[in-house]
Order: sequence, then structure tokens, then C-alpha cells
Amino acid sequence: MKRLALMLLAATPLFAQSTIPNNPGVKATVAIRNATIFPVTSAVIPNGTIVFANGVITAVGTNVSIPAGATIIDGTGLSVYPGMIDSGSSVGLIEIDSVPGTVDTSEIGDLNPNAQAAVAINPHSELIPVTRVNGVTHVVSVPEGGIISGQSALIQLAGWTPPQMVVKSPAAMHVRFPRLRSAPLVEVPQEEEAEKERTKGYTKDLDRLRDTFRDARAYAKASAAGTRRLDRDLLLEALVPVVEGRVPVVMHANQARDIRAALEFADEFQLKVILSGAQDVARLIPEVKRRNIPVLLGPILSLPQREDDPYDLLFSNAKILHDNGIQFAIQTQDAHNTRNLPYHAASCAAFGLPKEEALKAVTIYPARIWGVADRLGSLEVGKAATVIVTNGDPLEIRTTVSRVFIAGEEITMDSRHTLLNEKFENRPK
Amino acid sequence: MRPGRIAAVLLLLAAPMLWADAPGVYAITGGTVHPVSGPPIPNGTVVIRGGLIEAVGANAGIPADATIIDAAGTHVYPGLIDAQTSIGFTTPKSDAGTPEPAPDFFALRNAKLSGDDADARRKTGVTTIVTAPTFGIFNGQSVVLNLGGGAIESSVIKNPAALQIGFNPRPMWTYPDSLMGVIAYLRQTFLDAQQHTSARELYERAPGGLRRPEDNPALEALRPVLRRELPVVFIADSELMMRRAQSLAREFNLRFILSGARQAYELASELKDVPVLVSVKWPVAPSDQIDREDQPLRVIRERQLAPTSPAALAKSGVAFALVSGAGKSGDFIPGIRKAIENGLSEEDALRAITLAPARIFGVERQLGSLERGKIANVVISDKPLFEKEAKVTRVFVDGREVRLPVEEKKTDEETAAAATPIDGNWALTVRAPQGSVSIQVTLRAESGRLTGTFSGDRGSGDIRGGAFDGKTFDFSISVNAQNEAEASDWAFRGTLDGDTMTGTVSTTIGSFEFSGSRSK
Amino acid sequence: MKRVLLALVITLSVNAQERVTLIRNATILTVTNGTIERGSVLIRGGKIAAVGTNVTAPANARVIDATGKFVLPGIIDTHSHTAVEGSVNEVSLPNTGMVRIADALTDDDISAYRQLAGGTTMALILHGSANAIGGQSQIVKWKWGRPVHEWLVDGAPRTIKFALGENPKSANFRPPPGMQRQYPSTRMGVEEVVRKSFIDARDYLARRDEYEAKRKRGEAAIPPRRDLLMETMADILTGRIDVHAHCYRADEIVMLLRLADEQGFRIRELQHVLEGYKVAHEIAAHGAGAGTFIDWWGYKHEAYDAIPYNVAIMTRHGVLTSVNSDSDELARHLNHDAAKAMKYGGLTEEEALRTCTINGAKQLRLDHRVGSIEVGKDADLAIWNGHPLSTYSRVDTTFIEGEVYFDREQDLVRREELRREKEERLKKEKDAAAAEKKEKAK
Repeated sequence: MKRLALMLLAATPLFAQSTIPNNPGVKATVAIRNATIFPVTSAVIPNGTIVFANGVITAVGTNVSIPAGATIIDGTGLSVYPGMIDSGSSVGLIEIDSVPGTVDTSEIGDLNPNAQAAVAINPHSELIPVTRVNGVTHVVSVPEGGIISGQSALIQLAGWTPPQMVVKSPAAMHVRFPRLRSAPLVEVPQEEEAEKERTKGYTKDLDRLRDTFRDARAYAKASAAGTRRLDRDLLLEALVPVVEGRVPVVMHANQARDIRAALEFADEFQLKVILSGAQDVARLIPEVKRRNIPVLLGPILSLPQREDDPYDLLFSNAKILHDNGIQFAIQTQDAHNTRNLPYHAASCAAFGLPKEEALKAVTIYPARIWGVADRLGSLEVGKAATVIVTNGDPLEIRTTVSRVFIAGEEITMDSRHTLLNEKFENRPK
Repeated sequence: MRPGRIAAVLLLLAAPMLWADAPGVYAITGGTVHPVSGPPIPNGTVVIRGGLIEAVGANAGIPADATIIDAAGTHVYPGLIDAQTSIGFTTPKSDAGTPEPAPDFFALRNAKLSGDDADARRKTGVTTIVTAPTFGIFNGQSVVLNLGGGAIESSVIKNPAALQIGFNPRPMWTYPDSLMGVIAYLRQTFLDAQQHTSARELYERAPGGLRRPEDNPALEALRPVLRRELPVVFIADSELMMRRAQSLAREFNLRFILSGARQAYELASELKDVPVLVSVKWPVAPSDQIDREDQPLRVIRERQLAPTSPAALAKSGVAFALVSGAGKSGDFIPGIRKAIENGLSEEDALRAITLAPARIFGVERQLGSLERGKIANVVISDKPLFEKEAKVTRVFVDGREVRLPVEEKKTDEETAAAATPIDGNWALTVRAPQGSVSIQVTLRAESGRLTGTFSGDRGSGDIRGGAFDGKTFDFSISVNAQNEAEASDWAFRGTLDGDTMTGTVSTTIGSFEFSGSRSK
Repeated sequence: MKRVLLALVITLSVNAQERVTLIRNATILTVTNGTIERGSVLIRGGKIAAVGTNVTAPANARVIDATGKFVLPGIIDTHSHTAVEGSVNEVSLPNTGMVRIADALTDDDISAYRQLAGGTTMALILHGSANAIGGQSQIVKWKWGRPVHEWLVDGAPRTIKFALGENPKSANFRPPPGMQRQYPSTRMGVEEVVRKSFIDARDYLARRDEYEAKRKRGEAAIPPRRDLLMETMADILTGRIDVHAHCYRADEIVMLLRLADEQGFRIRELQHVLEGYKVAHEIAAHGAGAGTFIDWWGYKHEAYDAIPYNVAIMTRHGVLTSVNSDSDELARHLNHDAAKAMKYGGLTEEEALRTCTINGAKQLRLDHRVGSIEVGKDADLAIWNGHPLSTYSRVDTTFIEGEVYFDREQDLVRREELRREKEERLKKEKDAAAAEKKEKAK
């Protein structure tokens, strides 16, 4: 029987099932000393020490006492940062884009509020080690497609089962707000009939979205009133916490017209809103500021929607939000290259955003926006020991991340890429 | 009557005629005559006999047997020539599987002209057209036709007029499905035509010892093109497309004409020896404000500069005509007017739809001006042709008058009746227990569906789910949409009675009566 | 007065040709001759006239003070699909070598300008990868604002696109309903398409030779049909057209190299070549170059083994390796990919800078003209406000042949001007429409 099992194991294609250990299950007591420490929420500590035990940071500072028996890491010449957080990714939900069996990002149909990313995360995806070894320790994994795509999950990139990885689920409900035009108009369409159809389709989508939220509101009222139900509706149930304002809605929209409509929609149903994408956000500063809405910018390394948009539009949005006191975080909306999150942030700094703000946009700001700032986003006593050790600024490409700790456990720096590199370095000449 | 004469009369009676008259001799007098080949003649006479122009002038004698047409106060022009149309052809749906025209597709043999098409054109003063289908890479060989009604064979002025090439890629997976593929395909086709021609010549001269060349009507059809006997019309609108067409034509030393050319303003000075047909179907702005602002400045500039192309070509001395292209016949004169507003002189504009297209297609000895010996295509317009309210009142093709379709003016009553009885603004009063609620409603019915808006004490917005069967109606509105606690739907159901309506409205707290009257 | 003005205009335009520009006091990353601190570059007549620490300029030179800034040669992208009108793929046949990108170039694509803003000055615009043998490609410089025929690089080699793997075998596209899947649909078939094309080309040449011989002997003969596709294949065999081949898996890479050896020509550059690191030895032995992006992987199965160490490994084995984009977006920050070549695999800064400049120039056989800052080369370069390999840096000014094609300061001013022009034009239309409405109502 064992032989059969072994044979089957050998026969199983290794793709999508990483052979790299997830996390060791050991929360050792660790002290990294003589390093430059970047707490993010307070000043840089040039010759500092950070201590953590049982998964939690116990000390950060210059004159810190190191507990007996602690593993001591010499941080001379090295830097310590909090793990980075990507506010919009598909890590865990996708392996190879062109192989449908490995893609779980978009369910069929326009209305899937009851779809939860948390249940579909593959903890053994090759993308997970690839992402975390560059210092991105947490991602919000987001469903796509349709109008109401589903519920995202904030996950840590270490864990042997999805529940072990999930930090918060739902992180938010995601709505791809209906668009009259998929992209800003270039040439006037010649087909009048097609235009009419498209306008009709848009109105229909808006109506459906509105009707669904209205029904959810009614459902919520009935549930709150304790009315006995003989017909549970999972779709509407999933929206109850949303219409009651307990779970935020991420509105995905890039054109000013759609962002405005999304904001008005949120007003109508008194939703807690987060904007995502928001390429045109610079045109709507008062509207966004007045409502105190956080914005998820990104991918930054992407192209503006319009031919006439300034070439640096996406790079400059962060500075504009920062100058106007609007809360924001940065996302990659990627999977295979979520590891490049810090470089998206750095591109904002190349165009005016102060460097410290760029770092915050991938650490403490997302932690606050996602409501986990008590645990993540900075190096403070009491927070999770999610810490990365580098030889310099992680937002610079040439920096190497040498160690990663997630919730106090040291994560292997092996990934599919490092292992393949080794394999072929050793190919006989 | 002598027998010959009887026979002649019988023949005349037998011939399809749209306007019964005797000998086909007319004298159009008293109007301002625009010969185009010379300056306008203020009180001129045009004499038509047997389908041809017999005389034109201020002092042209009026023959005794002529029917006199008093054109006093009006303007007399040569029949207009629209040198790029697809009359008689429709573009098949992409999934219809209709084969594309080949180079040996003759528009003349395949055009299905309808009376309506011809009427629409003649109404704008167009009496001669060049037509070919617009789909496919090769659109076939176009033909110059008079729009006189009657059998198509008697309408032919020149066949073929030109070989037309449309640069339309084929559906994906069929070669060529890209623009660059189309150009490579055309290049190879012309090379093949050259080789085919030499092969046949060699073989015909001395077949001994040679493999006989295959029969290939498509390549055969390209022989006159390669010999510069037949010009090629390239459909090319943008500057780049015009340059690509020129480049291809020069590669094979073809005689060519560019058609479309709405970006001609970009390269007018470079088109010295190239005949150009400029389509007056000018680009339009989107109706939506946000769309207008979203469009690239480049597109906006092009849209505003396109109508300057004719003036730019005129300035550079380029031989050009104005054509309707893909545009509707009713937009032809307005489109030309736009070119005039953008710098083209009226004289050049008139020439561009008469003598210029005639020259470009080599039919200037027969058409394009009011001169003795030319075909009697004449149109009379109540005002100068390009004036805003000008109307073509009479049209002669091949010397015979063609009746214009009568325009039916809709009376006000008819217009009113076309609207449904419920259309309009209504003031409704709902008798709710707390007191009356006033709501203003605007309604419009179309094929049983009722749409509209509401506003008033309880909010505003669009009505939903409306229906109207001619007598009874229903629709819903969302009231208090701003205040979540009080938001609810009200469903109206009622009966229409002239300028009043009554019915009940159902709400979450019960049903109430309402009444309404039409507001002025 | 008119005469004087005319003379002035002529003088100015002549000056533009011979205009002298001095970029002074910058860190010059020459790429081939090390780094010059506080150096200057003198440009004359579109060429680099002098480079060094003691460069003097004539009195009428335009002087650009680049203190604290960096000068890098214009970045070269050997895999671009920008500036093509219509489809970048002629999908229909397995071999579309007679099709030419040059026939569909357009100067309207704003992507070209955005790439200048990222320091990229030259690109190889390729046919897509839908066919085993695709169309002929075109080398251009992004001369934004000039008519497109000026973008073509004089004397640039002719090039053609090959594609191996999933794309040419249509693994990921479905033909429309009612249409059969086309040959080839396996890597076996892809190989045969390529081999057969060359064999057919040799037959074509043989038939032509036979015709010529007959003619010489005075015998009757009908000239064979000129076949543009066969002539293209023949030109590959005789080295008149360089092959740039899109490939992924190690086995197909080896297949193509061996096939090229068998047919007697050298592959100029393998592209994407994501598994190149597995057969770096074989690639180096054949003498092919490699052009790839560093960190895209996993989007197709054949990209699942891609690793960012690829560039470093191939470089270490002696393969001439460049970084390229295959993307309008990546093409504007290829400096990031060059930096990643250091991060993944430890290339030195010198080696990394070569990957986005001189190596691409060599692969395009234009290294005598571009790719480094050396006297005599075209003045294609960019001024950066920080080291190009830092993510915090951005381009201030980009030159092609000594002319400014992008300048951030100018861009900031122009965008205001363009905004105003748009406003005015839209207002003009609105007013005209309103006036017409009034007319109609009368």
C-alpha cells in the first residue's frame, strides 16, 4: 500500500504543489541586533535591536535586553523592516493563467457576493514562496469578474491550510462598478445599434446592482427583526454585513464617470467604501476627501487609460493623495509578480511621493485600511513578529532580502526560482 | 402620318417614359445657368434635344418644337456626379459567408439598383454615379452610371470605370487577416498578374516546349491595370493609408486615384499628380459630453481639420472631386457645404462634383458641364445649389425629365397623433392618510413600454417597470431613496381619460387613491 | 523685411543640423568605457563628438547643466509591438514571412512617447507570435513627432520573427466555430513547418536557377512565379535577414539551434527564451544572442519554469544577453529589468547596464551606431535625475541624434497647452452646434 502511495506521489505532476516547506511551526525567541531598524510608525533606529518571542514583538530599540536562550542574529550592515502588504493580488487563487484548472479568480455570473477567496487559496502554490522571499508577507487575495465578484481575504504567506493563512476574511466585498464604456472613448463607434445595446446593457447592470443591494437591505432588516425565514438566500446573506456597514466594499473603477457613480451608489446605501484602481482620482479629490474614503492605487507600473493622460499620471496619483490628506495604499493587482510591490511604491517616490510615505503605503497604511493595524504594518511591541531583514532599502531592486519571519516563524528563503537556479547551476558542463 | 413616322411614334410610346411628352426637345430659359466650363450666365438658355445638349447661352435660340421650361429666378446646373458610392450593393454580414469580389467582379453585372436609391440621389441633384461594392480587398471593377431609371444597360456611361481596392482584412484565420497581410497579399497578387501576363504572351507567341499557363480570370482582369489602361481607386482615408496606397501603386507603376482622403490636409502639397476623391462624410463628435472630453486631442483636431482637406487640395492645385463615399445621400450637399465653410470656394466646390470627377474618370467629353454635344443631364435648383434651404426642383437625365419624389409634410395633427395619449407632464396627487402627496411625473409610451421621471415631495428619479396598453397603465417609483429608514417602492396603477388619470398606488403601508391631470 | 526674415529662418534651420549641445558635469555611464564622474558629453550634428572630464564647447553651444545627474545611452528594446496599425499578427497561416511590419507602421501610438519618457530610444518592432515563421520586423528609433518613415533606421538589418511553442501551435487560441484547428498543433509540427519552408526555398532557388540557365542557352522558358515568401526564406539562408526567434522551452530552443545548424544559418537572437538557462551552453555554442524580460513567469505552462536568474546564467555562459519588454508598459522602465539582472544572479553594474543598451545594439547589428556613449556614435542618450538602476530615478531628458524628443519640464508645460487647446476646440464645436440649433429652431 505504501509502495502504491509512493508511486502515486511520484506520478503526481509537481506543478502547483510546491515542495517547499510552508512554515516550520516554530515560534522561536529571536533577537536581531546592531541593525538599522525601520519601525515605520516612528523614527529609524540606526543601531537597534529587535526581539520577538511567541510570534510577537517584545522589544524594539537601542538599549534592549535580550532574553536568555534567544537566537541572536548579527544585524551589522543590515536593515530590518516590517513585512509588506499587497492590498490587491491573486496570489493563492491562480497558478498558470492559461491553464483553466489552475485559475480560481473569477466565478461565472455577474453576482457572486457569496464567493469567498478564503476557501480557494492554495497554500502550496509556487507563487507563495516566490512572493514572500522578496519581503511581501501578506496579500489581500481578491476575486475578480462580474459585477459583485465576491469577498477577498487578507492572508499571510505562510500556513499549511487556508485557515492557517487567513488573517481576515472577508477583508472586503468587491464590486466592479458597471461601466458605460470599458475604456475612455477614442473613435466614435460607427454601429448605432451596438451603441444602443451597450447603453441598455449598462443601465440593466446598474439596475441589477441597485436591486440586489435593495433586496439585501430588506433581507437584513428582516433578519434583524428576527423574522422567521423559510427561504435563506446565500447571495443576499453575504451582503447583509455590507449593507449594515460592517464589511467594507471595494469599488473597482478607473474612469471619473464610474468613480463618481460608485461614490453616489455608496452614499445611497450608506456603504463603507474603499476605492480601487481609481486612475482618475486626481479629478475627484473633494468628493473622495469629503467622504473620507481610502484609495488602493495600483498597479502603478501600468499605462494611463487615455492617450491624452499625462505619461506620469499613475506615478503621480500617490503624491496627490498624500498632499490632500487622503488615505491610500498600493497594490499590484498581480499574482506572479506581487513580489514587485515595493517597486510599484518606489515609482511613486520617483515622482514626488516622499520615500517614507512610499514605504508606509505598503506597510502601515494597508494595515490601517484593512483594520489589522493592531497586529501588522509596523515594528512595534505587541504586534506580530512579521519582519524582514535586508541589506538595504527593500524598495530598491538591487536590495537583497536575506531573512523573512512571518508571525514569529522564520520562513525558508527557497522558492521554485532559487531551486531551479541551483539545479541548473549544477548541470554538468 | 407616314409609316416611318408612325413607327417612330410607336417606338417612342413603347419606350419607358417617366414624363409623357412628345419629342424630347426642351428649352430651359430665364434661369441663371452654371455651365461650369465657363462663367455663370444670368439669363441663360439651355436647349436639349434627343438626350444631348444642343445649345447653351445667353442668346441661344429656342427651337420651335421645344417645350419651354421657365426657370426664371432659379439656377440651372449640370447634373451632379458622385464618383464614389456603393449604390446597388449591400455589405453582407460577416458570418454570411458571402464570397468577396475578385478583380474580375464587374459592378455593372452585379448591381441591384432600387428606385428608392436612385430617387434619393436625384433629389440632391446627383444624376451620375460611380459604384462598386465596399467589402473585400478587391472591390471589383466600378462602373459609371447615369441615374435615369430604365434598364441598367442604357445607363452605362463607362464600364469599367476603375479597379477598386478596399484594403479590408479578412476575418481572423483567413489569409490575409491583418492590414500588413493585405498589403503583402496585394503585392503578391500584382506580381502574379505580371508573371501571368508574360507567361501567356510567351505561350501565345510560341507554345512549343512550354507548359501552358492556367486560366486565371482574376489575374487576367489585372492586365489592363498593369498596363496603365485602367486606373485603380484605392480606398484610403488616413494620411498613412494614402501613403501606403501610393507606395504600392508606385511599386507596380499603376495609374491610381485615392478615395476617402479625409486627412488629405496633411499631405495636400504632395498630391500634385494624384487624382483624389474626398469623401464629405465628415467625422462627427460624440453626443455625450464626457465622451467628447475623453477623446484624444488628436482625434478632435482631425475631426475639425478634415473639412479643410478640399480647400487644401484646391490650394495645392490637386485634381480632386467631392464624393459621398460611405455617407448617406442626404448628407452629400450638407457635407460639401461644410467644405465651403472651411475654405473651399463655391466655384471649386461645384467643379468638384461636375467637371473634376468627369475628368478623373475620363468621361469629360460626355459629362460634367453644360456644353453643346454633352449628355443632357441637367438639374434645376430653386436657390444657388449650396445655399442652406436650396431644393432641387427638376432633374433631367439623358435629356428626359425624371419626376422627383414628392415630400410629404406631416401636419401638426398627424405629429400629435403619432405621440401616444399618455405622453406628457402630469401632476399627481396621492391621498395618503398623513395628507396629500404631490408628485410630478413625465411620461412617454413606446410600443407598450412606459418610461419617464418623477419628482416631488418624496424624492425624484426614474420610473420603473412601466406599461401602457392605450387605456390602463402602471409603473413604480422609489420614494425617499435618500433616507434609508423610509425608503420604499410605490406602485401606481390607473386609467387614462383624456387629460386626467385616476387609480391606486400600493405602498408598504397600504394602498391609496391618486388622481392626476395633465400639466401645460 | 521679408528677405531678412527668410534668411534668419534659413540660418536657424541650418544651425539645427549643426547644433552643438554640451551636457556637462554629470555621471556618464558610457557602458563600454566605464563611468566618468563629473563628465561631459559634446554633441554635434547628431553624433557624440566628445566624452570626458575636460570637454570644451564652442560659444554657441546649447549647454545643459546636468550636475548631480546621470547620462545613460538610450535604452534599446529588442522586442516591441508598439506603433503598428491593425493587428500585430497575421494569424492565418503557419508561415507568413512575406508580410512586413514596415507596411503597417504608424506614428500615432502614444506608447512611443511614453517609452522615450523612460529613456528608451530604439526598438525592434516585431510581428506577433501566432506563426512558426512570422512576418518581417522593423528596427526604429522613437522619433515622436516626426513622420513615421523617419523612424526607420538607415542601414538597419532586415529581420524576421520566428515563434516556437504554445503560440504557433495555437495551444491557447480557439479557431471560430466551424473552422478546423490548423496545422501545426504540436511542437513536432512546428519544427516541420520551419524545416519545410527552407527546403521549399531551396527548391524555389533551384527552379529560378534552371530558368536562368535556360534563358542563357536561348531556350524557350516561362519565368517562374516570383514568390515573396520563398524569397524571404531564401534571404534567411543567405544571411540577408536576421532571425529573432520567440521560444520558451529548452527542448524547442535546442531544436531550433540544431535546425539552423542543419540549414546553414545562425539564429541572431532567441527571444523570451525563458528556459535558456537550462541550455545556456548550447546557445553559446551556436552563437545566438538572447533577449528576455527578467521576471514574468507562470502565465503559460511553458513559462512555468522561468526564473529571474535566467539573464545572469546565460550571461555567465557567454551568451550575448539583453533585456527586452514585449510590452508597451515594461518598455518604459527597462532600467528596472537591468537592475533585476543584478538582484537575481549577481551581474555587476557594468554587465547590468549592458543588458539594456549595447547588448541589444549588437543583436540588432547597430552597435557601430548606438548602445554606448562613445565618440562617433549617434547621440541617442538620456539624462536621469538619479542612477538609472535605482527605482527612485526618472528620466529628465531623452535625445535621439542630438535632438530632444522628451523633456520633463517641456512636458509639464505642454500638457497645459494641450489641455487649453482641447478646451478651446471643444468650445468651438459646442458654440457651433448651439448656433446651428438656434438656426433650425427659427
